[in-house]
Amino acid sequence: MRTLEAIKRANRPGPPEHSIRLRAACFFTVAAAIAACASMGEVSDAAALGAIGLVAFGMVFSYFTRQHPPGWVKIVVAAGAIGVSVWFVHAVSTPAPGITSIEDPLTVLLVSVLVLHSFHVPARRDLMFSLAASAGLMAVAGAQAIDLVFGFYVVAWAGCTIWGLVEMWASASDGGRLAPIRLGMVLAAVIVAAAAVFLVLPAPQVAAKLNLLDRAGDGGSIGIPGALAGDAGSPAQLSRPGTPSGPTRVGGYLGFAGSLNTALRGSLGNTVVMLVRAQRPSYWVGETFDTWNGESWSATNSATHTLRQQSPFLLPVPVGSTASGQSDLQTFYVVNSTANLVFHAQSATELWFPSSKIYDSADDTIVSPIGLGKGAIYSVESEVKTPTAGQLRAAQDGTLLPAPVEDSALQLPHPYPRVAALAKKITAGASNNYDKVVSLIAWMGAHTHYSTDIPPLPAGADTVDEFLFGDRVGFCEQISTSLAVMLRSLGIPTREAVGYVPGAYDPITDLYQVRADDAHAWVQVWFPGFGWQSFDPTAVVPAANPDPGTAALDDIGHALGRIPLAPVAGALLCLALVATFLHWRRARPLTWAERIARSAERAGRRSGRPRRPYETFSEYATTLDDLTGSGSEAWRDLAEPVEASVYGGHDPTPEAQRQMVRRARRLRVGRHRDEDRDLHPVA
Amino acid sequence: MSRLARPSRNAAPVAVAIAILGIWWLVAHNGGSGWVQALGDVVFGTLFIGIFGPAVVLTCAKVRIASAPVDCIAGTPADMRIEASTRVRICARTPFEGEAFVGPVGRRRAPENGVPLVPERRGVHDSVPLDIATAAPFALQWWTRRVDLPLPSTLYVAPRPGRPQSFPLRADEETGAIVNWVQADAGQPRGARPYQPGDSRRRVHWSATAHAGELMVRELERPSAEPVTLTVILPQDPQEADRVAERALGTITRFLERGSTVLLATVEASGPITAIVADRRGAGRRLARAVANADTGHP
Repeated sequence: MRTLEAIKRANRPGPPEHSIRLRAACFFTVAAAIAACASMGEVSDAAALGAIGLVAFGMVFSYFTRQHPPGWVKIVVAAGAIGVSVWFVHAVSTPAPGITSIEDPLTVLLVSVLVLHSFHVPARRDLMFSLAASAGLMAVAGAQAIDLVFGFYVVAWAGCTIWGLVEMWASASDGGRLAPIRLGMVLAAVIVAAAAVFLVLPAPQVAAKLNLLDRAGDGGSIGIPGALAGDAGSPAQLSRPGTPSGPTRVGGYLGFAGSLNTALRGSLGNTVVMLVRAQRPSYWVGETFDTWNGESWSATNSATHTLRQQSPFLLPVPVGSTASGQSDLQTFYVVNSTANLVFHAQSATELWFPSSKIYDSADDTIVSPIGLGKGAIYSVESEVKTPTAGQLRAAQDGTLLPAPVEDSALQLPHPYPRVAALAKKITAGASNNYDKVVSLIAWMGAHTHYSTDIPPLPAGADTVDEFLFGDRVGFCEQISTSLAVMLRSLGIPTREAVGYVPGAYDPITDLYQVRADDAHAWVQVWFPGFGWQSFDPTAVVPAANPDPGTAALDDIGHALGRIPLAPVAGALLCLALVATFLHWRRARPLTWAERIARSAERAGRRSGRPRRPYETFSEYATTLDDLTGSGSEAWRDLAEPVEASVYGGHDPTPEAQRQMVRRARRLRVGRHRDEDRDLHPVA
Repeated sequence: MSRLARPSRNAAPVAVAIAILGIWWLVAHNGGSGWVQALGDVVFGTLFIGIFGPAVVLTCAKVRIASAPVDCIAGTPADMRIEASTRVRICARTPFEGEAFVGPVGRRRAPENGVPLVPERRGVHDSVPLDIATAAPFALQWWTRRVDLPLPSTLYVAPRPGRPQSFPLRADEETGAIVNWVQADAGQPRGARPYQPGDSRRRVHWSATAHAGELMVRELERPSAEPVTLTVILPQDPQEADRVAERALGTITRFLERGSTVLLATVEASGPITAIVADRRGAGRRLARAVANADTGHP
């Protein structure tokens, strides 16, 4: 019965809400949330405008019927809410093929509920529900947001919400209003509390396959099936190997073209190519190469299969790889046109992609049949194997490479006697493959220098010989190739991989921003039982996503580090001095009488007896004299000429004024001397 | 300000906020969206300040009674001007009743009048016990604080005027006849004489004044200054004591209306007091201060 009574009490209609400003704030809050959803494409612009208009009409209707809301409105609203909920359950339980996201139906549900509910918001509690539901709508929109532009909607929504809550307090307190300075303090407190939680919470993780999206962008189709295209920024343009005489490609990378010319490097911009949401940072693999000819890498042992099925695509296990590993869900948002390689963390097992077929190679290269233009989205699940150093040292047994693959992974175009000798010398103390790899990487780190500002190598020159036995200055392709050749000379199966490093982590969006100049080449080494493992002498990939708070503090630290401290500190110091001077000017008593009164009041406060509003100065002076208990009338003696001056216009001489001010000061600080008793002001 | 702020009994906002934030965090953490988590942080900040901010506001609030009446009657409102540095709801506690909002309002609002607080019983008060509450700035959670606000001056709460005591008839001292109590100056005038300073204006004889051309007063048959002595003995039970005090006040009022001089004997905290009460207000104050005998330890 108690529960029933509690439910009845909770459903009892509240008193009608008369505040127009509160209703306006709630309307703008809801409108901001709907606009945010529209900006994310979850509802069309027309639908959003219609919904906002209906909410406005509903709010007006509710205001005029707040005293006696019509019963039929409540019935219509309840029936509508039930109907939309049933539709939502149906839409989620029977999703469209290939779509696993529930956000679009959820958006429709929340917008519909908000529109319906706006026709029945007679009381303050109902308006509070509108605010809460708008928060849910913002969350749905935020789930789709991938850039900081969404921040404008967040600021607008948060501002309207706080406005609504402040109006709610004004209504609940019968007219109470926060002064501007207090409102500013409240806003600051909200921001501080939010920032504190932001700094403490760990990074969010994609833990379920509920939000794995795939959407075609503006890439269009590619004329030749299975061909590579788009590495120069245009999805329609087929990729071509880089040549010293050819134009460099801003935003493109010479390695995304079926072969990798290590003699030159394209001129890469810092354009954001794609945004990646992943459970952990990884190298985003585009292609792998197994054949080295002294100048370029190419892939010769990679038979391409065409997978025709509905998304998600179940990908075969790449040759030599093991299926077990940690699941890593990634979603790639293409921001600017890039190569039609399906970048992913190694090794991909499942792919949500907006097409009916894909081209999959045995070397873990996946090629899209459509151009990956702006707006394209795809998701990948990979089985990432992250063995420890001890496991790799002990890796002797396990899946062995098929003979052709192993042959190609040990292929060299010609003997490298100097390279082999150098590699053996460096790894003389290493007893297993892992230690050999680590020794070589350490040596490379100590004896080579990274630079992209070097001229192309002469045609026909061997990149590895030129690099290792030249000035040892080069870029990642040359450094990784040298490492790969040294490892192959030691009999360790190795291949070259190209793709992107994870990019900069954005603590707000929880996305990695992959820029054109994040294109990279690195080495993959075969370990029995663990498959291909990435090693890189020139880049480090962290083991896990950084905490948003740590990343934000780092960003703030870097930003502050760029601020010239001396001028800013000087300006702040000047401002502080000016403010102090103004405060002192304002607080300083202007006349001698005021200074004496100020001294008396300070002395009284120190004695625990502040002056009361209704007390005359004479009364207060008498009280202060009584507090001393010595029978002195020092304060009283000062009060008489003060009142005579203030109320009677009888000013003492300037010398007497100075004496009295000094005496008051002495009385205040407790250094009352006997001779002061004899000092009598001269009127 | 004597006690710390505490949340009101209704903990529903806190429970709902915790549930919302928990679900939000689960969705954000498992959905992998940074914006959802960032939005959740904003929602958390808003809820946190909305729920716990009132405690800070209440702790910093300064409330005082700027003015209050000196005398009032139990059961009738006493208008007090209460000033607060921020908007708060005040709820009077026993022995007062009343609830109102005090504190700054918007510029367009007219300044508020005094707060009518109703003392339930007679007594003397130097302070008023109040619960002050606020939900500022967001009206999400009310917090309350108990305070005893000192009054600018002592408040005397007189008992409600009750039915006067009916006294038995007495024998006239001269004739021996049974007579009613009469008003002291209601007897037959013996004559009239010129007004002298100190004469009550009630005794002005207007006809004689008109006739004589100067202010004349009555000379009464009996001396009217004979006081009526009323001894009020309050029982221990507070409610019964209030009833006795009410009846006493009603009786004193009746005597005073008849012009009698009333000598009231009561027991106060400082001891027994017997003194003339000049008017109803004085009687009310005496009865407000009166206590039961055993309360004082005096015989």
